Amino acid sequence: MSFTDQRSERIIAHLTGAGYARIEPPILQPASIFFDSGEDLRAQLYLTSDLSGADYCLRPEYTIPVLSAYLATASAGARAAFSYCGPVFRFRPGQDSEFTQAGIENFGRPDLEAADAEILAIALDAAAAVVRNSTPASRLSVRIGDAGLFSRLLEALELTPQWRRRIARGHSQGKSLDVITSLGLNGTDHSGVLGVLEGADKQGARALVEDLLSIAGIAPAGGRTPGEIADRFLEQAALKAGSGLSPEKRAVIEQFLRVEGDPYQASAQLRALARDAKLDLAAILDSFDTRLGLIAGQGLDAAKLRFSASFTRNLDYYTGFVFEAYEQGRGGQAAVGGGRYDQLPQALGAKTPIPAIGAAIWIDRLSQNGGEP
Amino acid sequence: MSLPGQAPPLVLAIPSKGRLQENAAAFFARAGLDIAKGGGARDYRGTLAGMDTVEIAFLSAADIVTQLAAGHVHLGVTGEDLIRETIADAEARIELLAPLGFGHAHVVVAVPRAWIDVKTMADLEDVAAAFRARRGERMRVATKYVHLTRRFFAERHVSDYRIVESLGATEGAPAAGKAELVVDITTTGATLAANALKILDDGSILRSQANLVASLRADWSPGQRELARIILSRIAAEEEARTTREVSALLSRFADSLAAEAKAAFSARLRFHSSDGRLTLNCPKEKAAPLADWLIAQGAAHVCVAAQDYVFSAANPLYERLIARLPKL
Repeated sequence: MSFTDQRSERIIAHLTGAGYARIEPPILQPASIFFDSGEDLRAQLYLTSDLSGADYCLRPEYTIPVLSAYLATASAGARAAFSYCGPVFRFRPGQDSEFTQAGIENFGRPDLEAADAEILAIALDAAAAVVRNSTPASRLSVRIGDAGLFSRLLEALELTPQWRRRIARGHSQGKSLDVITSLGLNGTDHSGVLGVLEGADKQGARALVEDLLSIAGIAPAGGRTPGEIADRFLEQAALKAGSGLSPEKRAVIEQFLRVEGDPYQASAQLRALARDAKLDLAAILDSFDTRLGLIAGQGLDAAKLRFSASFTRNLDYYTGFVFEAYEQGRGGQAAVGGGRYDQLPQALGAKTPIPAIGAAIWIDRLSQNGGEP
Repeated sequence: MSLPGQAPPLVLAIPSKGRLQENAAAFFARAGLDIAKGGGARDYRGTLAGMDTVEIAFLSAADIVTQLAAGHVHLGVTGEDLIRETIADAEARIELLAPLGFGHAHVVVAVPRAWIDVKTMADLEDVAAAFRARRGERMRVATKYVHLTRRFFAERHVSDYRIVESLGATEGAPAAGKAELVVDITTTGATLAANALKILDDGSILRSQANLVASLRADWSPGQRELARIILSRIAAEEEARTTREVSALLSRFADSLAAEAKAAFSARLRFHSSDGRLTLNCPKEKAAPLADWLIAQGAAHVCVAAQDYVFSAANPLYERLIARLPKL
C-alpha cells in the first residue's frame, strides 16, 4: 500500500465518520459538463471519445460530478452530505497530471453559517489527521474570506450594474481599483454616439442602433441583438457621464479591500466602515459574526484564522464563505480549499435554489510524515 | 532508411501537397538544392540531388510539426501558426531558423460587423461578460486554433467564452449560428468581410509564414550536423542574395567616416574599395536606391545596383543559430 493509499484511507475514514457518505462518481465523465467552467479548466482536460463520437474526459475534479449525481436523484433539493477521495486528472505542464483529491460537499442546508463552520472544521481536521501528532491550529495556517460580503458592499454602494460587474470582474482578475477605473470606456471612443445617447431611453437607443446598422448596410447577426448593442452604448454613456463611481465610493471600496487580520477585529472594522459610509451591511455582518461563533463552537480558535476582505477566491463561482489552508513551512499551494457556491446547482439544472458548500483536500500537498506507522 | 554500417541520414521534411509544396520546392531549388521524388510506392520519400545522405520526407504541414517536436525529422518546412498551436513547449523542442517569405497566414480575432460597439479585445471582454450575465451561457468562439485562442484570450483577461472547434469554413460559423465570433486566418480580410465579420483593432494573434524549422530533439551526430551546415550555408547564401543588393560606384575618396555613415543610414556593408576608386557595398534590397542617391551626392557619377545569385560567407548565421541550441558534442 502506497503512502497516498494509507493517507487516503485515513482521510476517508475521517470524512465518513463525520457523517459524509462516500460517493465515487465514475472516473470517465461526459466532457460537456465541465465546458461551462471556462477554457482554463477545459484546457486541462484529458479528453477521449467513443465510437458514436460522444466526448468524455477523465474527471478533473469532483464537485461537478458529485453535484450532478445528487441533482439526478429523486432527493435533489433535500439535505445531503457527501465525501469522496480518489484520483483526478489535469494536464499541468511540469507537474503530475494524476493526483489525489479528497473532499466533502454539503447540499440543501438552510442554516448556512452552521454549514460553513462545519465544512471548515471537518476539512481542517481531516487534513490534520494525515499529519501525525498535530492539530489544525498548530500545523495549518488558514485564510478566510467572504465573497458575499464584497458583492453586498457593491450592492449597498448602489453602483450601477455595469460598475458592479466591472469591479467584481476586475477584482477576480487581480486588477487594482486604479487599473479597473482607469480602463474607462474600455479603450474605445464612441463619443459621438454616446453623446447622442446620453439621457436617451432604451427604445430610442435601440432604434438608433438599428438605424446605424441599416445605414451601413449590415444585417444584424452574430448572437447579439441590436437591443443588446444599444444597452451597452447606454451603459457606456452612463459610465462616461461618470455616474456611479464617485471618489467617495471608490475610497470606501479601497478601505474595505484593505481590511485583514483577526476576524473579530475585522468584523468590528467593517461595521465601523459601514457606519461611517452609511451603508447597510448589518445583515451580512451579523451572519459573519454568527459564523465566527459557530466556528469557535466547532473547537477551532477563530481568532487565529486570518481574514482578508480582498480574498474571494473565484468570484465567478464562490458566492459566500471561502477558505484556504496551507501547511506551515511548506509554502506554495493551498492543501485545503473550499467555499460556498450557491449558484452552481441552478447552473447545472436545479429547478430551485439549493444551498451548496464544499471543500477539497489535496493529499499530495500535505507533508509525507503522516503516512508512517 | 539507413542500412547497417551506413551513416545515419539527415531527414528534411517538406509539405507533401499544394502551394506550400510548390513554394518549398522552389525555395530549395533557388538555393541550388533540387528535391527529387523517389519512384514507385515510396514516393513519400525523396532525395536531394547530389547529397546521398539527405532523406526527404513528404508529409502534411501538420505532421511535419509533430515529427519535428518528436525529433523524428531534423529539419522541416511548416507554418509558424501550426508550430505555436501544436507544440506547448515549442521553445524547448524546435528552433525557427528562418522565415521563408511564403505561406503567409494572419491569425486574427473577428467579430460580426453588426457589433458596432466592439472594436478592441477590451470591448470583447466587456461584451462577453455581459453576454454571460444576461444569458447564462458563454459566448462561442469558432476556431481551429484552440491553444492560440486560449493563450491570447487569457492574456487579455477574456474568460467568458467557450471554444467551438471548427475544422473548415470557420468564417461561416457566426452566420450559421454555430458561434458568436471566430479566430481564423486571413490574408486579405476579404473572406472575413464577405461573411460580415471584422477584425478587432488589437485582435492580431500571430502573423505567420512558412519557416525553416530545426528539431532540437532529433539525433544530431557530427555527420548530420555537417549535412545541415552544407544545406544551411546554401540557403543562407541564397537568402543573403535575395534580400540584398550589390551597389557599386567609382568614388576615389571613401573615408572610414563615410563607411560608418553608410552603415548607419542604409545598413550598408563595405565589401571592397580599391586604390583606383572602385567601390562595392552590400545593402538591404529596399535601401539600394537611397544608398545610390547618397553615393551620387558624395560625388559618384554612376551607381550600379545588381541582384546576385548567391552570397556565400565564411559566417553562416543559420547554422550558428542551430548549433547554439544543440548539445555540445
